[in-house]
Amino acid sequence: MKKLRTAVLLGFVFTVIGLLIYSRIMAYSLAPTMKPADFRGLAIWEIPIAYLIDYFSHGWICLLFAFVAAGLVYEFVPKEAITKYMGSGRVAGYGLALGMAPFLTVCSCTMVPLFGGVLFAGAGIGPAITFLLMAPAANILSILLTGELISWELAGVRIIVSIVVALTAGIIISKTPWGKAIEKEHQQTVPTGQKSIEIVKPPLDERLWSSLKFAAYLAKQILPFFLLGLVAVSYVQAYLPEDIVGTYLTGVTGVLIASVIGGPLYTPTLVEIVLGKGMYELGMSKGALLAWLMGQPYDVANALAVSRIAKWKVVLTYMLIAWAGSVIFGLMYGILSGSL
Amino acid sequence: MKEVKVEVLGPEPPCMRCQAAKKVVEKVAEKLKQTEISVKVEKANVMSKDIVSKYGVLVSPAIAINGVVRFMGRVPSEAEVEKTIKEAVKKEA
Repeated sequence: MKKLRTAVLLGFVFTVIGLLIYSRIMAYSLAPTMKPADFRGLAIWEIPIAYLIDYFSHGWICLLFAFVAAGLVYEFVPKEAITKYMGSGRVAGYGLALGMAPFLTVCSCTMVPLFGGVLFAGAGIGPAITFLLMAPAANILSILLTGELISWELAGVRIIVSIVVALTAGIIISKTPWGKAIEKEHQQTVPTGQKSIEIVKPPLDERLWSSLKFAAYLAKQILPFFLLGLVAVSYVQAYLPEDIVGTYLTGVTGVLIASVIGGPLYTPTLVEIVLGKGMYELGMSKGALLAWLMGQPYDVANALAVSRIAKWKVVLTYMLIAWAGSVIFGLMYGILSGSL
Repeated sequence: MKEVKVEVLGPEPPCMRCQAAKKVVEKVAEKLKQTEISVKVEKANVMSKDIVSKYGVLVSPAIAINGVVRFMGRVPSEAEVEKTIKEAVKKEA
């Protein structure tokens, strides 16, 4: 019975992976294929329906894969090893914050507590901030979708830029007087040895099942907003004139505007990716697109949660650094890729 | 009657998965009442100073049984929790 269950679950996981590989081999586009011009002849109520049908007939493999992968990674990442080393030292702290944030934080549930934990128990304010910025900017779900829907080039750039910005912000804040003050206030020693943690190792079928359950949980959390976002995107595609996008979302102004609206409009629901893609198709430059996608770390909900632990000065500093980062790297990427 | 202390560690305000974990623990506690094991369920803030100094950095939701973290970052099944609590009782005895 147990073996059968394990086999069925493994079969499902491999089918999902196989589907993605198959679509890759067949060079089958997973992104929606309708162009803005296709919408012009449709009635108002037909626009979102046509867009959603177009989107899901292509995008379901990608979404399914993204959620299943996020669930699996989250379940199988060795959490106790990470939390143990998170407390060990500064360099290890930064390294783990960068390396692990993308895998652990697909759920907002874990992010703020981990931020608090790293700050209180170990590596201090620098790695804690690095972790906090890295998490939403480059979590596995958003990277997978950026790669599949927009381009893997942009997904790669997004990872690299997130690392640089998160690291810079962490190091700078750990040097400021107000950053140091927070650290002093909260830092405490944790008993060495950590005998108080003995994680139970569940059997494979249990782990597979719980990773799929977590994938379903994520989908339930994110998809309703994602759907609403897609409806909004369909109207943007249909009604936003190309010359407005061409005027305001290209060049240096484009990067600046995209970086400013990216923050407040950010919802941790992957909508920013589809919306970004929509505007990119209407003529937004690659530089502005990167700035738009990078705008999220200073989203308001997160900042509020964090400001309860760290003081507003720290929050303001990291928001400023994240914003400056999105502008600087947006401009650089725009120039380098020849699309500013 | 044996007593077991189970702490469900999550952030404040509680997140959905931590509430799910707490529900699992409470159901098991109800069930174990008939087997001479009394389970005291507590909810603790994963970011409070004493929890951090006791357990260090945790991925929530976490479940500690008699002061030992046994589950972390996931919602375990009732069977698993029951088994682990019973193990803890055996260990004490």
